[in-house]
Amino acid sequence: MLAKRKMRSNELAEIIDITPANLSILKSGKAKAVRFSTLEAICKALDCQPADILEYVED
Amino acid sequence: MKDNTKILTIITYVVLLSSVSILLNDMREFDFNQFKEFQNWAKAANKNDSWFTSKNAIQWSYYTISAGLFFWRGCLIYGFSYFLSILKEIENGNYFSDKNIKYFKKIGNIFIWYTVNVLILRFLLAAINKSSFNFFNELKAEFTFLIPAGLAFFILAEIFKRAKDTEEENELTI
Repeated sequence: MLAKRKMRSNELAEIIDITPANLSILKSGKAKAVRFSTLEAICKALDCQPADILEYVED
Repeated sequence: MKDNTKILTIITYVVLLSSVSILLNDMREFDFNQFKEFQNWAKAANKNDSWFTSKNAIQWSYYTISAGLFFWRGCLIYGFSYFLSILKEIENGNYFSDKNIKYFKKIGNIFIWYTVNVLILRFLLAAINKSSFNFFNELKAEFTFLIPAGLAFFILAEIFKRAKDTEEENELTI
């Protein structure tokens, strides 16, 4: 989605007001939970729906 | 918080130093020359005589048990020294660290083992001196409060373990 919007990770981190390290945790799937406020900010910044950035992968 | 930690560290140092000085003083007052007398007796004793019933053997047991009591008091003081390690971790901002959990468990273990072993040694001492040993009276003694204190430290360790998991979960919630 970032590539589609031609946006860099650092830019997104700055827009949604989280650290690049936390964004990296989110991207790598190491995060244990995502706050609704973070999800809302990401969707707003990327102009997309939660389903566009979330994916279920079976272990 | 940092000031409180400093005050607690100073108090812990005072308690530690007083305990060590009391222990060393008790050891100084204890007549270790008796061990030498026993060694001399052991060399000269008739090997055919019954060892266990002799007066010297009883005396030897008495001093061994006294040495055991000193050892366990030393262990208790060693347990107190873990408070300093915990306070240092807190000072560094590592409240729910693995080290703190480990230290709490160690303190709990030392408190409980100290009480159990001192009870056993006091029982043996009473048996040797042929004096009466009332288990319930011994349980009422001040030092047995270390058993609930030890259990409290185990509970604290469990709480800290849970807190550490929660802290980790919180840190990984973006």
